[in-house]
Amino acid sequence: MDRKQRRATRRNQTACRLNESARALDKALLKAGVSAADKESFLNWAIGSLWNSFNEERMNQRIMIENEVRRLGLRFPNGTVKKEYSVFFNLPVDKISDIELVGAEELGLMLAVGRDGKCSLSGSPRMAGDYSLKLRFKTVEGEPVSEIAIPVAFNPNPRDLWRNIPTDTDIPYYKPDSATGYVKVEAGADGMPKKDIVAASQRGRSHAQEGKARDDHFSLFHCDESDWYIIAVADGAGSAKYSRKGSEVACKTVIDHCKSLLLDNPEFEASIREYEADRENQGKRTDVTRHVIDIIYKGAMKAHEAVRKVAEANEEARLKDFATTLMFAVCKKYDFGWFIASFWVGDGAMCLFDADNKTAKLLGTPDEGEFSGQTRFLTMPEIFRDPDVVSKRLRMAIVPDFTALFLMSDGISDPMFETDKNLNDYAKWEEFYNRLKNGFPDDGIGGVDLTDDNEAAKDQLLGWLDFWSPGNHDDRTIAILY
Amino acid sequence: MRRLPVYLLIDTSGSMRGEPIESVKVGLEAMVSSLRQDPFALESVNISIITFDRDVKQILPLTPLDELQLPEITTPESGPTHTGAALKLLCEKIDQEVRLGTPDRKGDWMPLLFLMTDGKPSDSLLYKEMIPEVKKRHFASVIACAAGMSAKTEPLKELTDEVYSLDTVDSTAFRKFFKWVSDSIGVGNRSIGATEDLVLPPPPAEVNVII
Repeated sequence: MDRKQRRATRRNQTACRLNESARALDKALLKAGVSAADKESFLNWAIGSLWNSFNEERMNQRIMIENEVRRLGLRFPNGTVKKEYSVFFNLPVDKISDIELVGAEELGLMLAVGRDGKCSLSGSPRMAGDYSLKLRFKTVEGEPVSEIAIPVAFNPNPRDLWRNIPTDTDIPYYKPDSATGYVKVEAGADGMPKKDIVAASQRGRSHAQEGKARDDHFSLFHCDESDWYIIAVADGAGSAKYSRKGSEVACKTVIDHCKSLLLDNPEFEASIREYEADRENQGKRTDVTRHVIDIIYKGAMKAHEAVRKVAEANEEARLKDFATTLMFAVCKKYDFGWFIASFWVGDGAMCLFDADNKTAKLLGTPDEGEFSGQTRFLTMPEIFRDPDVVSKRLRMAIVPDFTALFLMSDGISDPMFETDKNLNDYAKWEEFYNRLKNGFPDDGIGGVDLTDDNEAAKDQLLGWLDFWSPGNHDDRTIAILY
Repeated sequence: MRRLPVYLLIDTSGSMRGEPIESVKVGLEAMVSSLRQDPFALESVNISIITFDRDVKQILPLTPLDELQLPEITTPESGPTHTGAALKLLCEKIDQEVRLGTPDRKGDWMPLLFLMTDGKPSDSLLYKEMIPEVKKRHFASVIACAAGMSAKTEPLKELTDEVYSLDTVDSTAFRKFFKWVSDSIGVGNRSIGATEDLVLPPPPAEVNVII
């Protein structure tokens, strides 16, 4: 048989089978009582209604599967722009196919669907905003593609949102948005290097964002005649409108006061030497304390008075509009070691750090409230009415030597130490010192080279003050005697 | 990490059903997106939402702004406005959720409270009892808003000096109101310190100051 013949035979066989089944159908129809005349319309009706219920069944199946997916309650957590994002979830891959997440790719995200139904959406979100992703999938062949909207939000990176608006120079009591200082004290006749002071103050990002002035202040002084160092740091209250002036007046006043009393004060110096020679002697201690009260405590009181006078001279302001904290220290090196006396009201930190002996001595206690941002101010009259003000706020120390004396506003101590407990922990101070020296390489912030007579340290320190710490964007001021 | 806790108390009684509550939702969404544009808010604001009608529910526990997804807000057909019970739940949540400073831990910023109602407290006895309790919680600011013509401002004035009213309860009014709320939160972020009173930004024209 050739190919043609084979095909003809097959056709005949098929025709025979069709005839057979047509005959069987006619038989069944007759048996059911369908007359030959009704046959065609009945068949049309039967096919139509069966097709409908077939479709209905298929649609119901699709809806059931869609509902099953909906019931998963897929919600994607919020992400942050350019920060690695990944979320894991399961889909019933035995029931759905051709799964895609429309809109994900444009946002920089990739959907991966595993054979076992384990899915992931990951990548690095490109843009900030609220988006609606469409989960698209096929359920039943012949049914339309299903779609479920899943909202997702990407936050902008807070670092990209900060603006730096210069302060209007016409505002009352204007001060520059940043400041640096370096007091270079050259070696004496003996050729031994002497400690220097470096300081920097930077307006906080929260102020820069709104073009508001820096409220912090510092003042430094070294008396070449008497070799006394005087350092003051003040933090004007964020909510007080003229606190920038309060902090400035407070710093300048204590420097002036201490300067005049330390220039030539043989009695004070003698009392220090006598006390050092006989530390157990209460009388000697009282003598030094009397001088320290004159210099330090009266300095603080004078600062309070000076701020009050400025406030009184301003008709539209009250003293609390000038609210400021204040910490200051006077130090001098003797042949037996260093004498240090200090006063501190408010928050921040003042610490005598000694890396060789592994000690960190806080020169007072920060005033902290139950809630963040609560503290005490130099401008509160009750500070000086407190009968324990001297024992609480004045400190006096004699040490052989130290690595650094730090005075800083809470714009630095809060992010670096967080709690009072950490402020009393030497390990945290060592960590702080290393951060100061090494900077924050991941954020492109360099360290500070604290070597003798390195005047460049003041600009390094100012750059270092730009370190990033979420939620901590207050003014930052630090002075270091090293 | 210091947080600025913000509590929103929203009236969901029957009279808020329909356009008013839909407008509130739109306003809340706009508030959240606007706050997300503020770097300080993004790092510190935490929001909680408590709704009150017959039932009082904390529909959103105190949640950092960057993680926040607004929940569904539903309103019953009708029924009383349990503002007092809402204040009671608020105080409980404040005690649980707001962290005070300890030597080991930095405290949160003082919390802010925004209360919005379109009526008056049905549980006035409990409401009165709760007022001193709320005052004990050291809010940096309590801002109450009487929305619509049938809202009563007198009970709100017992709770706080900062009472405002909205003449209408449509989406424009609520959008403006919540925009102002987000601006006030921004202020709250920065100006806590020496002066006890928070100076709020001036409200928009739609928001009336009740003296």
